[in-house]
Amino acid sequence: MPTDAPPTLAAWLRTRSDEQLSALLVARADVARPAPSDVVALASRLAVPVSVDRALDELDATTLQVLDVVLLAPTDGLAPDALIAALPDLPDDVLEAAIERLTTRALLWGDDALHAPDPVRRSVRHPAGLGRRATELRLQLPTDLRATLAELPPEELAVLERLAAERPVGHLPDGPGDGGRTPARRLLQRGLLARIDALNVELPREIGVLLRGDRPYGPPRLRPEPAVVARDREAVDRRAAGAALESVGRVGELLGILEEEPAGLLRSGGVGVRDQKRLARELHIGEPDAAWLLELAYGAGLLDVGGPHRDEWLPTRSYDVWREQDLADRWAVLAAGWLTSVRLPSLVGQRDVAGKAVNPLSPDLVRHTAPAIRRSALAVLAEYPAGSGLAPDDLVELLRWRTPRRADRLAPVPALLAEADRLGVLVGGVLSTAGRGLLASGEDGAADGMRGLLPEPVDHVLAQPDLSLIAPGPLVSELADTLAVVADVESSGGATVFRVSEGSIRRALDFGWSASDLHDLFTRSSRTPVPQALDYLIDDVARQHGRLRVGAIESYVRSDDHGLLSQVLNDRRTEEAELRRLAPGVLVSGLGADEVLTVLREAGYAPAGENPGGAVLTRPPARPRALGRRPGSESTPVGRSLSEAELAATVREIRAGDAALAARRGEAVRQVPGVTTASTLELLSRAVREGVPVWLGYVDAQGSGSQRVVQPVSLVGGFLQGYDERRGENRTFAVHRITSVALVEEEQGAPSAQ
Amino acid sequence: MSDGPLIVQSDKTLLLEVDHPLARDCRAAIAPFAELERSPEHVHTYRVTPLALWNARAAGHDAEQVVDALVRYSRYPVPHALLVDIADTMDRFGRLTLANNPVHGLVLTTSDRAVLEEVIRSKRVAPMLGQRIDEDSVVVHPSERGRLKQALLKVGWPAEDLAGYVDGQAHPIELDQSNWHLRDYQQEAVEGFWAGGSGVVVLPCGAGKTLVGAAAMAEAKATTLILVTNTVAGRQWKRELIARTSLTEEEIGEYSGERKEIRPVTIATYQVITTRRKGEYRHLDLFDAQDWGLIVYDEVHLLPAPIFRLTADLQSRRRLGLTATLVREDGREDDVFSLIGPKRYDAPWRDIEAQGYIAPAECIEVRVSLDDEERMTYAVAEPEERYRIAATAQSKLPVIRRVLDRHPDEQKLVIGAYLDQLEELGAALDAPVIQGSTTNREREKLFDAFRAGEVKTLVVSKVANFSIDLPEAAVAVQVSGTFGSRQEEAQRLGRVLRPKADGRQAHFYTVVSRDTLDSEYAAHRQRFLAEQGYAYTIVDAADLAGIGEVNGPDWTEDPAD
Repeated sequence: MPTDAPPTLAAWLRTRSDEQLSALLVARADVARPAPSDVVALASRLAVPVSVDRALDELDATTLQVLDVVLLAPTDGLAPDALIAALPDLPDDVLEAAIERLTTRALLWGDDALHAPDPVRRSVRHPAGLGRRATELRLQLPTDLRATLAELPPEELAVLERLAAERPVGHLPDGPGDGGRTPARRLLQRGLLARIDALNVELPREIGVLLRGDRPYGPPRLRPEPAVVARDREAVDRRAAGAALESVGRVGELLGILEEEPAGLLRSGGVGVRDQKRLARELHIGEPDAAWLLELAYGAGLLDVGGPHRDEWLPTRSYDVWREQDLADRWAVLAAGWLTSVRLPSLVGQRDVAGKAVNPLSPDLVRHTAPAIRRSALAVLAEYPAGSGLAPDDLVELLRWRTPRRADRLAPVPALLAEADRLGVLVGGVLSTAGRGLLASGEDGAADGMRGLLPEPVDHVLAQPDLSLIAPGPLVSELADTLAVVADVESSGGATVFRVSEGSIRRALDFGWSASDLHDLFTRSSRTPVPQALDYLIDDVARQHGRLRVGAIESYVRSDDHGLLSQVLNDRRTEEAELRRLAPGVLVSGLGADEVLTVLREAGYAPAGENPGGAVLTRPPARPRALGRRPGSESTPVGRSLSEAELAATVREIRAGDAALAARRGEAVRQVPGVTTASTLELLSRAVREGVPVWLGYVDAQGSGSQRVVQPVSLVGGFLQGYDERRGENRTFAVHRITSVALVEEEQGAPSAQ
Repeated sequence: MSDGPLIVQSDKTLLLEVDHPLARDCRAAIAPFAELERSPEHVHTYRVTPLALWNARAAGHDAEQVVDALVRYSRYPVPHALLVDIADTMDRFGRLTLANNPVHGLVLTTSDRAVLEEVIRSKRVAPMLGQRIDEDSVVVHPSERGRLKQALLKVGWPAEDLAGYVDGQAHPIELDQSNWHLRDYQQEAVEGFWAGGSGVVVLPCGAGKTLVGAAAMAEAKATTLILVTNTVAGRQWKRELIARTSLTEEEIGEYSGERKEIRPVTIATYQVITTRRKGEYRHLDLFDAQDWGLIVYDEVHLLPAPIFRLTADLQSRRRLGLTATLVREDGREDDVFSLIGPKRYDAPWRDIEAQGYIAPAECIEVRVSLDDEERMTYAVAEPEERYRIAATAQSKLPVIRRVLDRHPDEQKLVIGAYLDQLEELGAALDAPVIQGSTTNREREKLFDAFRAGEVKTLVVSKVANFSIDLPEAAVAVQVSGTFGSRQEEAQRLGRVLRPKADGRQAHFYTVVSRDTLDSEYAAHRQRFLAEQGYAYTIVDAADLAGIGEVNGPDWTEDPAD
């Protein structure tokens, strides 16, 4: 390590170990891809404002405060000791950790003195909530500032103090330019505030520091230590299970209703208020609750736009799979869908800028930051041991400390926590076992955490004399489907109360049940004796049922010549057509028109097909389904993190490029890519012959340039083969992509052999 | 997962499996805050309503107890949101209190200023409040006490009424238990009422509600005003009071259309109080005629709307409501609760039947097929005529006769709603008819004859729906009714539920025309019976087995006897 400090960020980076570089790339993953060619390229990537902002956004308040101290230092470069003096309230280990975090991310650099790169300075507008220096604001402050301030009238001093507290920029109060009326305007006249645009003024740093007294950087921003909420784990899980049961049941009912009568798709997307009201009414819940359930179902991929004209909200095909799953799995699908959803259901009903309330399922609810916020909030809770957590306000407070620069994103957190509560992921600020499972290992983890807590499905009901059927638990899906036909649901929850009525029995008969089927069903599925009134009801309705007949046929044969029809009917050759007489002049068949036509033609008749406009469908079409998204196709806004191997490769790449840069070059040939000059070839073949490493400028197939030092092996057919020692690989280089070549001078020793 | 007897539903109904070993404990635990809604054979349904929760608070239960009871007895995990909601609802009670202030009289005070501000700004409440005393309290006009409580309940901030009751003018009343004893449930009912101050006691017909009233009077030992549905019922009260208490005939006055006596104990009919002449209630001063210490409302489910208004003015007097069922077809149960008081006691009918205090009953619906002519008349009738046509169909007559023939030796009532049908039945069955126009004297005479067994069958209109004590009636046949009134069904069933001397079963028949509105209404009423725990049977008229036949009634007496 050289004794004198590295003069630049790039030079400092060069002194970092491979591990430290890896850590940098992990912490600032956006600079690692595509791999920077060398340290200089890395340093310039690190200076990109977007990258700096992103890195700063991820820092906690303590670390940012440490950074502020360096930024506010009168000279560039601050010794760590000076930091300790500046922040006396900060424990040493916290301070060291903060410095470590900053240097790891190259937001500060230097070993003996900490330097802040310019982009970082630009990105932090108001370090420690202090304004710019007076000179930068083009203000001439009075020489004895303290005395001037002491003489200020109290209301003017109050304005200054307010600006000195958190934000040095403030609005000028509205008002006509009757100069000097408000304290702020008087301060402007005194030259103690600077006007930065028509509306805003800024307090110069010197005044801010002065007013803050012995704590120019404000109070120490230590990690808040909120009171931990502790609950009995078992109670938490039971409550979570209650919420889960409720959610799964409700979503099932909701989709059942939408299956019968889909909700319309608004032109602006989403579900209309009328449908929302209808669902709320039918489910006996509030309208906001209906919106939440719609969003929950949509998030889990159970509901989507479909229908023949793609203008209806329908259950998806996944719904058919979902309802066959056991309760824990069903819940896991909902919970995982919610966790990764980019939508914020809590925004439903809020008014947009135009004053229009946002509808459920509307595209306006999409916030791409939502999954990250949800996960980060819950992740904080997951750090606490099982059975303990934080009250919502404390959690928000902690999140605000963790990412103060992103505090504006935390607005939806309380609503998100309430949603987690409703789902059973969270119970009063404590993660349930299933919630932990969800965070740790997704859907499977969630299901595992919930399994055993939810009731086992039951396969029977209790029939009562008031014609109610009580299913004392969630029903097996087969019986649930059956009962959905023969009875109406009156109340749902842990159990389901069905009521059999004349209407429901008639519906069952319409679905093709016979009276004896129904008697069987009730005898079989009821644990209690079937009440006489129920049996009587079935018989009574069955007695009246079917006096009017409606049937479905596939085709008909009609003719005005009744004799001909009789002939056709009695003709043995037409037996295959399965014809029967419905009325004089009309024969019908259960076979398709094509088949009947064929049979009749083969039998020697001359039938003509009729326009199928009046044809009756025998079977109702399968229930319509929306296509839905495939699970996992949700785009994840968070970048994939680098794997170990990728990381190592990238660091190696940078080092190699850097070595190449540093290698002393001898004879050099520069060429225009694509044109292989004789001198390039000559130099290369000399290198091959003499076994001398060459310095190559190379553009790969993706167009990214790199420099490398290669020990050439052969030069055949327009390709150079060689060993790149830095990268530890044998490679073939297309000669026409080589942009420049130089022999590495020998007295220096091959840089690769360092 | 525990194996409790209770299932908590999302709509705040509670299903209680009655055959579960813990069912009894569970019932005791949830009864304070949940209304028993249905009690059919296997699973009872309770409902947790805000009103029930507030009543529980008023009775000294807190949210923790409620939540604990639910969680402890629940078979499945209870939705967290529901528990939170319950706690929130209960928390609303008691933010406001009504109390007597030595200086300002009746005062509404709050422990939560925001709530007081909210209700003061409410249009519904503001007119009843007087001057603001300080930030936390405001004067209430004493006459508005009841209406204010009603209004506060509607805006969701029920007031805790600590203003207490006036004792009224003392008058010695004792129960005379020399040859009878108050039953346990009656005792519990009186205790429940007295501890709560005011309220409603729900007991099945025939379970001795009058005695609960008498016991309450003995507890109050003060002048009492008893409001009853009609004169006959009033006289029954009088007889009972004379027989069961220390009261003498002279101490009990009758205030009815016929007589206007005001005595220490006065029995008045709803009708006379609500009689208006020239648009004015003429008999309102009855309420002020004495310093009443107790007001008893018999059949409180029938309380007419004007009396609601009057009752609102009587909030400082103890009020006892008695009823067999709080179902009101007009849905004003909440007004009963807020004005008379919360339900202080109720017991499933079947429980009392099991204790032998009311007769077990068999309910049978007989379906009669109309003949073709009647069907045609029915099909073309105007909608408002349809029920009458179906209910009064001629085809019912032979069936009614057959039903009565099944019970040759029992005392029988035929109950209907249409006078011409009743007249016709009376003639055909050779039985006396009692209806609205029958004089009280004639009624008393016929009822006496019936009690004595001289008349075996009575045909009665809906005047007999209520409060007629006919202990020996063991068979009731209802042929037509007031649409689908469940209330009426309960009362009619009550006619035959008085325990029989030999403990034999009562029979309750409903004759309905098949496939008409009549059977629809019947279904509605029967659902109510089934919900009370009565299993009922439906038979076709043709299948109605005669006496001694398969499925028919047993011989009740040895013919040789």
